[in-house]
Amino acid sequence: MSALTFSLKKPLQFAINCAVLTPDGLANRTLNEIAALTLQHGKQAVRVDELFDISGHDSASLRFLNTSDQLDYLGANMHSGRIDISGDAGAYLGFGMKGGEIHCHGNTQDLAACNMQNGRLVIHGNTGDFLGGAAAGLRKGMLGGTVVVKGHAGDRVGDQMRRGLILIEGNAGDYCASRMLAGTVGVLGKVGNYAGFSMHRGTLLLTTQPDLHPTMQACGSHTLPFLNLLYKSFAPYSQAFASLKSLRAERWLGDAAIQGVGEILVIR
Amino acid sequence: MITQLKHARVFDPTHKKNGVVEDIFISQGRIVAKPTDASKISSSHDLSGKVVMAGAIDMHSHIGGGKTNIARMLLPEFQASKHYSEPEAHICTPGCSHFATPTSTETGFRYIEMGYTAAFEPALMPVNARQAHLEMADTPMIDKGAYAMLGNDDYFLRMLASQQDQQAINDYVAWILHSTQSIGIKVVNPGGINAFKFNQRRLDLDENNRHYQVSPRQILQSLSRAVHELGVAKPLHVHCNNLGAAGNFQTTLDTMRASDGLPMHLTHIQFHSYGKEGDKQFSSAAAEIAEALNKNKHITADVGQILFGQTVTTSGDSMMQHLNARHANPKKAVLMDIECDAGCGVLPFKYRDQNYVNALQWAIGLELFLSVEDPWRIFLTTDHPNGAPFTSYPHLIRLLMDKSFRNEAFAKLNLDAQAMSNLASLDREYSLYEIAIMTRAGAAGLIGLNDRGHLGIGAAADITVYTDQADREAMFSKPDYVFKNGELVVKDGQVVKVVWGATHTTKPAFDLGIEKDLRDYFAKYQTMQLANFKIHPDEIADDGRGSIVVHSGKHLS
Repeated sequence: MSALTFSLKKPLQFAINCAVLTPDGLANRTLNEIAALTLQHGKQAVRVDELFDISGHDSASLRFLNTSDQLDYLGANMHSGRIDISGDAGAYLGFGMKGGEIHCHGNTQDLAACNMQNGRLVIHGNTGDFLGGAAAGLRKGMLGGTVVVKGHAGDRVGDQMRRGLILIEGNAGDYCASRMLAGTVGVLGKVGNYAGFSMHRGTLLLTTQPDLHPTMQACGSHTLPFLNLLYKSFAPYSQAFASLKSLRAERWLGDAAIQGVGEILVIR
Repeated sequence: MITQLKHARVFDPTHKKNGVVEDIFISQGRIVAKPTDASKISSSHDLSGKVVMAGAIDMHSHIGGGKTNIARMLLPEFQASKHYSEPEAHICTPGCSHFATPTSTETGFRYIEMGYTAAFEPALMPVNARQAHLEMADTPMIDKGAYAMLGNDDYFLRMLASQQDQQAINDYVAWILHSTQSIGIKVVNPGGINAFKFNQRRLDLDENNRHYQVSPRQILQSLSRAVHELGVAKPLHVHCNNLGAAGNFQTTLDTMRASDGLPMHLTHIQFHSYGKEGDKQFSSAAAEIAEALNKNKHITADVGQILFGQTVTTSGDSMMQHLNARHANPKKAVLMDIECDAGCGVLPFKYRDQNYVNALQWAIGLELFLSVEDPWRIFLTTDHPNGAPFTSYPHLIRLLMDKSFRNEAFAKLNLDAQAMSNLASLDREYSLYEIAIMTRAGAAGLIGLNDRGHLGIGAAADITVYTDQADREAMFSKPDYVFKNGELVVKDGQVVKVVWGATHTTKPAFDLGIEKDLRDYFAKYQTMQLANFKIHPDEIADDGRGSIVVHSGKHLS
């Protein structure tokens, strides 16, 4: 069966919300029904087939071509299936995702994996701020699942993250793992200032020593055999992380400003 | 053009009419005497058997100002639970509406649909006055007004600390009433919000503010004297120190004593009637408070009843809200200092009937309602949205009017809380006449709205018509007709015409010389110039939708 493919006809003037275009949302719908769905574009409700060329028929596997950063909420609340995005994606990629897989081959805007609960999100390019964060006003961000970013991530990675795994093979911006409640964030490149700001619990795994603020407390160097198991567990998601070897890590604890007991492990 | 309401069963406590059947005539938005020429009557409604009251007045309801917007933004959980189809519904904006804090448009609609024709914002922060008035300007259907918050502002505390004479303070209070277009003065946790900025975490009545070396007692006495001497009808609106703290009833009693015989209104007194008895160190002191209220005829109070369910509490009392933040549910809080004026604390709260403290709070509020003898001096409020949203008033009225309904609800509460309350032994049931006092005549009299809250000749034709039903909740949630300024705006609980209410203010005379000193102060310390701080009446009337009514301040005898 060939993947159900949406190819954007022309560049968009306004961002559109693609939350209805998920494997669950389109299951058991005919091509005509899908074409007749409407999306909000600026002030107008526009039919899907006015914006996209539609081909293929397997709704369990969706493919987006010629995409742009105006496509928001791709894969929102999806439970199963797979979405492949050939280019860039907008904000809220994988919003509230509960299962399945999303592979984005370009860059994304802010708030990817916002409120994500389960499943896997792979971003081959760069992503914006608040990766794995919480929607405005909520006190818990990502609740589960795995996010892999092959490029760089913006500020506030894992802000208020509650559970799950975020692996970034490039760099991350400022306030990495800020207000983190639990879960694991790994960054192979550099992180910006204020890593672990207001961190409650959870683990931030780094390979280069960042400039930390004074309320992150140094706990010395340790040899941690469990790291071996941790690296092996990364194998299904990221070869770069799975090929880490060193069991020697510098350990930092914080954020003491809020009596937090989150840890930053800097692999030596 | 005269409208006739025929055979109305009138409940008008101002004129001591308790169910008198008579006709009411309306002309040009006012109630008029029976016309000699019957041919002038252009329309008439037969109201045989219907209960007719003046439009209700909510004398304490947070419907404007920045804090309401924060409350609107604070519950995206509620947005999620509604499964809205709108794509960005999970993003809570100031335009968001939930049951606790509806949008300004919905606020007006929900009020008028219950027969309320006016609501007063009790915590207008002078520096935020423009925002509050803009929000109220967007609230249709009802009249509105505001009490300006003083007593924690730097300028007033400086005056008090430098022992300026009462005349200067009177001028400042009057200047605030003028420049913020308010009808009364409120003081929230006297001196406490300010003390919080100097790292004091509690402040008792006779404890000095660390920075200014003035006590809440001095603040209260100086402000209530100012309000009294200026001839403002609305007594000083007092939110006592130690809100929500176990054992705070003593502070409340001391505050009553500190009034020194001058009129004083104690607001949401339910939150200030807690004892410290029992295993859980939390008990009802409603009996002591009610006894004091019965004895001190110059004190009035509104209850601030809590009802069970999710709400958001919004208060200027950042000191006590900071303390209460650990009880927030969902766990989040917005706490801030606001410029030289005061502060603000907004927390979501879920009152649960199986929680000992919440269940007892519920009972304390009702005990107060039932033990305070004079309905002219106690007012029906939930401190919207702090105790419950205003939309629950019909439910509250039924609790007051229907003893068996009340006792059934009481029997479902946390058992420990039941054991600590004497509610079941209170047999009183409010009558329609007493409800009309609490929600109409009394409230209008307290605020000084001489042409509202009653159905006498010359009064504004704000009239609510109910069908007499045994189920008082059903009766009060769906009036048959509501007239606003003589126009039929609600029919069978549905809005049929959108109208815009006025803003009520009072403007006592004062010495404008005070502006000289204030201008220097503003230039030095405030974020805006004095000229921008003052709200011109045109700003409210500007688009023709709003209008200002100035009340004389003298009580109708």
